[in-house]
Amino acid sequence: MDSPVGDDLGLGIRLPDIGRVNSRGHRAVHPITPVIHGLSVIPFAIFLTIGIAGSLVGSLGIAALVVGVGGALVAGVIATGYQYLAWRALEFWFDEDGDLRVDSGVLTRAQRRLQLSRLQSIDVSQPFIARLFSMAAVTVEVAGSGDSRVELRYLSLGDARALRSEALARAAGLHHDTVEAPEQPVMRVAPRDLALSLLLRTNTVTLLGATVLILVVSWQAEGFAGIGLALVTGGLPVAIVITEFIKYFDFTVAESPDGLRLRFGMTKTQTRTVPPGRIQAIEIVEPLLWRRMGWVRLRVNIAGVADDPKEETLLAPVASLKGAEALIARVLPGVDLAALRWTTAPSQARWRSPVQWRSLAASSDDNVVATRSGRITRRRAFVPHPRTQSVRVTQGPWERALRLATVHVDSTPGPVAIAALHLAAHDARALADAQAARAGRARTIDTTIRWARPEDQRPAGN
Amino acid sequence: MRGVDPAFDSADEWTAVSPRLATARRLVIALVSVPLAGLVVLAFLVGRDATIPSAMAWAALGLWVLGIGWSWWLVGRRVRSFGYCERGDDLLVRSGIMFRRLVIVPYGRMQLVDVRAGPIDRWLGITSVQLHTAAATTDAAIPGLTPEVAAALRDRLARQGEQRSAGL
Repeated sequence: MDSPVGDDLGLGIRLPDIGRVNSRGHRAVHPITPVIHGLSVIPFAIFLTIGIAGSLVGSLGIAALVVGVGGALVAGVIATGYQYLAWRALEFWFDEDGDLRVDSGVLTRAQRRLQLSRLQSIDVSQPFIARLFSMAAVTVEVAGSGDSRVELRYLSLGDARALRSEALARAAGLHHDTVEAPEQPVMRVAPRDLALSLLLRTNTVTLLGATVLILVVSWQAEGFAGIGLALVTGGLPVAIVITEFIKYFDFTVAESPDGLRLRFGMTKTQTRTVPPGRIQAIEIVEPLLWRRMGWVRLRVNIAGVADDPKEETLLAPVASLKGAEALIARVLPGVDLAALRWTTAPSQARWRSPVQWRSLAASSDDNVVATRSGRITRRRAFVPHPRTQSVRVTQGPWERALRLATVHVDSTPGPVAIAALHLAAHDARALADAQAARAGRARTIDTTIRWARPEDQRPAGN
Repeated sequence: MRGVDPAFDSADEWTAVSPRLATARRLVIALVSVPLAGLVVLAFLVGRDATIPSAMAWAALGLWVLGIGWSWWLVGRRVRSFGYCERGDDLLVRSGIMFRRLVIVPYGRMQLVDVRAGPIDRWLGITSVQLHTAAATTDAAIPGLTPEVAAALRDRLARQGEQRSAGL
């Protein structure tokens, strides 16, 4: 079954897979890599050099253009030359322990060793220039603090997919020649839904509303002072909507025994494989204006991925509530959202959080701990017991006066923060103690570290 | 007041930290405020007949001294608020007066235990023990332990963690 990122998304040029192996049995990335890096430099360099050339020549005429483009080409060639050395220096292989080893660096040599039993996710992505040549980058994330990822750039798509399936098979505890696991599509976000949902986000609508207000007021006042402000309040949400639309375009979720495959992107396509049990926390977000449509957004914490703080890791940018629940049932098996019995915040919580106090609640069952909050944008967050890192109870002076306390369930860094706000003090402490105990117990029976050891191999497509 | 708070108290046996931690923190206050006091006095002497009305200057000075006295006293309460408790499966750490905090870390989740001491701490013979999990938000630091207690605690925690730990 071919995936979109397995098809030729390349914009014309196809190069053969190489699978180059040197005398020590180590592999290299594709020899076209330095050229791709060199080409990536050129658009940026053109802007820079035309600017410099313009100020040297004195005007932005033909001369400046020629000097600028020429300078950019020189920059591209220099970059290609350097990247050629980097390409020669880079080699990767699987060692006898089954770990992924990467040696790299021209001036400073670096040797990385990624313990695949701690694999958190594998991404295959195609930045725009790499797509011209049907090339892809493979990013491997393992659990660990700090820099626990390597990015191998660039492999042909065939090589990239082979590497992904080999790493996943080794991480799962299977033989590395195992064929790539078959996959079943689960969900696809229609471009129209994505666009509409981005426009209806609370922030977007608020800012656009403010823009209209500013424009009306400045038109009434016949002044132009508001125009600059309106450019900011109007431009920002439009820019965010367009960026997210391009980033999450054609968001697809598929399931395979290797885990969930997430695919998305217009100019840069990405495929992220999240092995079973690697989702650390999950949150259902329902902005006010999405509720008529019955839409939600699913955010997740995946260890390692959020080391990139800009990244809002999503399981779905927009999905129907039913679809979202089906997805959650896949990643957190045995969780029945409807059956959760919520402990709500007491009525005195209204003096601490007058708007959202009715939403505040916490719950837990055999598999997860859950919190609920928010009135305008409703949020529900879940952490499986084996993924609970620690539990905190906090209480500020105002909470103390009202005999309230807040329980935080600590998860790995990511967009989801789990806090049961302003519970009755005794409920809070009971929840914290119970959660710590459940976390300790669940840990000892967690079987997802090597999720497909032959003795408990799952049926394909389950 | 402490005894009736359902969120932070329990039958568990809490271990307090060394009162020398209060000495260390007061020393820091003194190290900052004494040179500052010198500067203020100097300013008073130089600027005697300058534009600042003397009543206001005296009031400011009074407030400043009061502030230092208050934080001096607060340090004692803060240090007494620190406590930890080793239970069968997890470690509890509590702290804070205005903003209270209780952290529960299951032994199996600890990724590493830091023991550290700054120059003032070393001079006074105290160290702090900090637990780390895979979550950046876990804030389980126990300052003000004597080095022997800290080392013993670190070893016990490491042993407990080893018995129970798994991957992430």
